[in-house]
Amino acid sequence: MRTSRRATLALRTLALVYLVGLLAVPIVVILWRTFGEGLGPFLASVRTPAAVSALNLSLLIVAITVPLNVVFGVVTAIALARWRVPFRGVVQAVVDLPFAVSPIVVGVSLIMLWGVGGWFGGLEQSTGIKVIFGLPGMVIATVFVTLPFVVREVEPVLHEIGTEQEQAAATLGASGWQTFWRITLPAIRWGLTYGVVLTVARALGEFGAVIMVSSGFPGVSQTLTLLVHSRYIDDHNTYGAYTAATLLMGLALLTLLGMTLLDRKRTHR
Amino acid sequence: MITVTDARKTYGDFVALDDVSLEIPAGSLTALLGPSGSGKSTLLRSIAGLEDLDGGNVRIDGEDVTHQPPQHRGIGFVFQHYAAFKHMTVRDNVAFGLTIRRRPKAEVARKVDDLLEIVGLDGFQHRYPAQLSGGQRQRMALARALAVDPQVLLLDEPFGALDAKVRADLRRWLRRLHDEVHVTTVLVTHDQEEALDVADRIAVLNKGRIEQVGDPVSLYERPENDFVMSFLGAVSRLGDRLVRPHDIVLERDHATAASRQAAEGAVGPLVAARVDRVVRLGFEVRIELTADDGERFVAQVTRAEAERRRYTAGEDVVAWALRSEEPVGAGPVA
Repeated sequence: MRTSRRATLALRTLALVYLVGLLAVPIVVILWRTFGEGLGPFLASVRTPAAVSALNLSLLIVAITVPLNVVFGVVTAIALARWRVPFRGVVQAVVDLPFAVSPIVVGVSLIMLWGVGGWFGGLEQSTGIKVIFGLPGMVIATVFVTLPFVVREVEPVLHEIGTEQEQAAATLGASGWQTFWRITLPAIRWGLTYGVVLTVARALGEFGAVIMVSSGFPGVSQTLTLLVHSRYIDDHNTYGAYTAATLLMGLALLTLLGMTLLDRKRTHR
Repeated sequence: MITVTDARKTYGDFVALDDVSLEIPAGSLTALLGPSGSGKSTLLRSIAGLEDLDGGNVRIDGEDVTHQPPQHRGIGFVFQHYAAFKHMTVRDNVAFGLTIRRRPKAEVARKVDDLLEIVGLDGFQHRYPAQLSGGQRQRMALARALAVDPQVLLLDEPFGALDAKVRADLRRWLRRLHDEVHVTTVLVTHDQEEALDVADRIAVLNKGRIEQVGDPVSLYERPENDFVMSFLGAVSRLGDRLVRPHDIVLERDHATAASRQAAEGAVGPLVAARVDRVVRLGFEVRIELTADDGERFVAQVTRAEAERRRYTAGEDVVAWALRSEEPVGAGPVA
């Protein structure tokens, strides 16, 4: 297909306007509002006990979610790509479910399951472990919404590398575990890395599911996203909301930067 | 020695191995030759333990390994597409089997260097597979398979992914290697020239069955059926018989043909035909003909013979064969 010069120009302008209007402008506005009054007020705003606690909680949730989803994701991806799984289609659909279901639905269903009077609600009375309105609830919610990323990044890589390297390792005497650690894992490490980066970014940014299952006390059970929300809605602290949002964005940018650097390292090899 | 008895393998309705029995003598280089879907790769992979048989058994040096995983069969396996460990250097690839076996570092290093010298990859120790050519990767894969001192070496279309020149070089090299190392070797190929060139025994497979087993000369000279005849080398159909194109003699007239055929003690039909085309292929000349019953066939003569006779397109000749198979059976020739 050939397009005229004018049409090309029009399409480019349209794409640019779209990107600038929807992505660049809001980000610039937040950054401008945040740093408009200088670095001092920004630092003060993100160093309040509530902000520090929110940052720590967000990072803690990430630190618990990532290993869980790495193990689950790799095992599931291997099962889907290598083993004869009954009801493969159903398993594939379940893995994709968190992409399809709104996080707030996840939050509601978690309350119905684990909350007082829920199916597993007895756990809190018998053991004292508070799932809903506690850390476990927030972790479960985050694990749920980030569940597909590792599977979806690793499974295609497994298909792409095929089974020959693993078979070769077997003929050379390697056991299943040795083959996994020495052959499969190194071969899927880039897919796994992408999966982890996406999981981290999504876990940091998760809001809908987490707000449902968090008690939302500043300094106790607020993640960074909840802090942004409560500062803006409850405290009418617009500036504080901007600074917390900037902090959140900074973390996301760091994650993206890490991914880009890894990608560059990979293409250079 | 490898003994396969009544090996059976099906994939749904497709019978990959139909009660195959085969003996592979110790120290031999045996080719499993057949078209795609003939079961040759399945047979090789069953010997390796990469495929589970539905029935029958496999013995390696007398030991029943039918239910052993590949790890415990004492084999070396080379894949068509090399199966190089991409994230490892050449040295680590070749050392893999020894590292798994926790051999002392010095021993591993010595052995790997020796093997790399044998396969002509000395100095490539620190390269990655991506930095090697196809032929080099396959030699690395061979060194890797040999590093664990396998009782048998199994090669699955090892040169299939390489270009013609490299393929010819490598198989001659493999033959020399085999003469030095003497490990029992089984090679799967669909290329009859490769099988004739490199193997000292050939098993021809077709539709999950073994058609004939023997040394290359006897298979070529005395094929037991049409399939083996037509799969191993070129064939032309002369009247009701299959013949080798280079066995066809073309005469100007019927009387000369009949007397020469009698003088050679040959039997078979005399076929009147017209020359369609004369193609010069280096030292030999291919003559394409149409018999008067409409059957097209090809004769092959030496350049000297062609110069002497001066065949030209449109010329009428009478063809007979120095040697021919028994009359073609009812079954179609693949």
